[in-house]
Amino acid sequence: MFNSTGNNFGAGSIQFKDFQAENYVVLNAKFSYDPSNAAYQAADVLEIYVPDLSIDRSAVTGVILTFQDRYVYSSYTWNNDGGTAVKSWIKDKNTICIEKLTNFDEKVEHTIFIQAFYPTLNQSGSTTKGTRTRIDMTQETRYLYWSSDTFCVIFEHWVFLHMQFSSCSYSYRNQPWEANMGNFPTDVCADVPFLGGSNQYNPSVNGYSLAHIENGVFTCQERMSGFDSTGYEPFIFAFLVRDGEEANGDME
Amino acid sequence: MRKITKSYKNLTDDQMRAWERLAEHTSGQSVFGQAAQLTGINLYVRLNVNRTMAGESILEDAPEQIIALPNVVYDKLWITPKTAVIKGIIHETGLKLVVKMSAGQSAGVSSGWDKTVIITPGMEDDWGDADMTYLYFKTIGVKPVVGEKIFVEMYWLDPVSGFTGQTTYDSKVCESEEDAEAEGYVKRNKITMADLKPESHVSECDVDFSTGAPVISFDTVCLGHSNVASSEAYLEDELPADCIGTSMALARGMGDGNCALAAQSYIIWLRNSSWDGTSITFAHRGGYYVKPTEVFGPGILY
Repeated sequence: MFNSTGNNFGAGSIQFKDFQAENYVVLNAKFSYDPSNAAYQAADVLEIYVPDLSIDRSAVTGVILTFQDRYVYSSYTWNNDGGTAVKSWIKDKNTICIEKLTNFDEKVEHTIFIQAFYPTLNQSGSTTKGTRTRIDMTQETRYLYWSSDTFCVIFEHWVFLHMQFSSCSYSYRNQPWEANMGNFPTDVCADVPFLGGSNQYNPSVNGYSLAHIENGVFTCQERMSGFDSTGYEPFIFAFLVRDGEEANGDME
Repeated sequence: MRKITKSYKNLTDDQMRAWERLAEHTSGQSVFGQAAQLTGINLYVRLNVNRTMAGESILEDAPEQIIALPNVVYDKLWITPKTAVIKGIIHETGLKLVVKMSAGQSAGVSSGWDKTVIITPGMEDDWGDADMTYLYFKTIGVKPVVGEKIFVEMYWLDPVSGFTGQTTYDSKVCESEEDAEAEGYVKRNKITMADLKPESHVSECDVDFSTGAPVISFDTVCLGHSNVASSEAYLEDELPADCIGTSMALARGMGDGNCALAAQSYIIWLRNSSWDGTSITFAHRGGYYVKPTEVFGPGILY
């Protein structure tokens, strides 16, 4: 775990969970900023300044940019929260860069989720392989259904997670969701962006809903309004640091 | 160059004086790889030719000072009929590498650097490699032939100021792949457009296995095909056994319609098939499917 030493877009201090190896870094952070602030407006690339990382540059990875967009009609709130992937890379030992995507700068607030693996290239070894583990999503009363591409790849210090929603029983559509994640490590605690769903007021992107994973339990309190639209396939894609084995700068 | 020369006349008197002053300090110094007496217009044209070559606009105000650039430091130049690559380059942040190469000459020719042409007007090294293979074939038009000598010049270019470093000269007799491997050449495990058959459904392809970690690094633009939410990249050669498997990576739309910027996830199958050859299939999974889409970043391999 470490804190940022600054940034160029007015976000305040950012706390990171990390696993740092000689040839890659896995970072987790969630932070927000107001896109109308002067620092953000002046930046070409978003930069987060951090204490020494184990690598002095990385190839490009993906992080998730999200925003809130709600419309209130008498007793009903139309949820058009949205989000998409933006590029991120480590520029030097002390600087994490994030692509500035200006398409949503009129929104009140942006939230970025860094749940990313920052690789280095031209290493002496080739890619190694992990093992795909199917996540056994269970509930006392089953109302959530998931695609067969709901799986994880578990490593000692971090885990890769991909979840893909299939359907939900009609009567639970607007209820808070909860499901046990069998085979998934219990030492992961993270808010995760759940991207997908038709976004009527922001048609250039999918919808965004917030999910949470803790102690092997998946929860999602509410979904954006077009969440289960056909063809919009809500999914979660994240590299997550494991708390129990967090290395805090130790080399693997 | 004529356009740049003509544009000098449009500068203000102050701007011209600044170029003259800088030229006085530049003359006699090896800031362009050779000692030279320069006038203001000479310097203006030289720097701006370099800048425009690197894709920058014309600089009207003279740089405040002369900028000394480092030499190109590298391990080795490898030339085979299939490969032209400079390996082990020490990365210089913010600088671009200019490489000039000749067509194959008789092995007995001792000086053929006057026959070089620009292969790349300014590229960043790719994690210590400068792979000229595709650019060489594209520029020279023929592949190197075993036994012929290729002459190479290279130098760093600062795209902001237009200054260049000292030229490094090298030459190499083209050898067979087998001889290069016996001599220590290790091919980087990476797939680019140069490795693909033309019927592939991708317009850009960079699939890099050299992470030394359980991920592949992707930067590929998928065009899609037929009515299937996937794109195939057909390879000329087989993939090494350790590259065979399945991956999952993040993607973002590049279209201009609905969900133009939609985040997506892609499952990627890497296989050698005795039935339909070697291919990499990028198959859409999460998010709204968009054509074209850029699949980028690390994809877990299992």
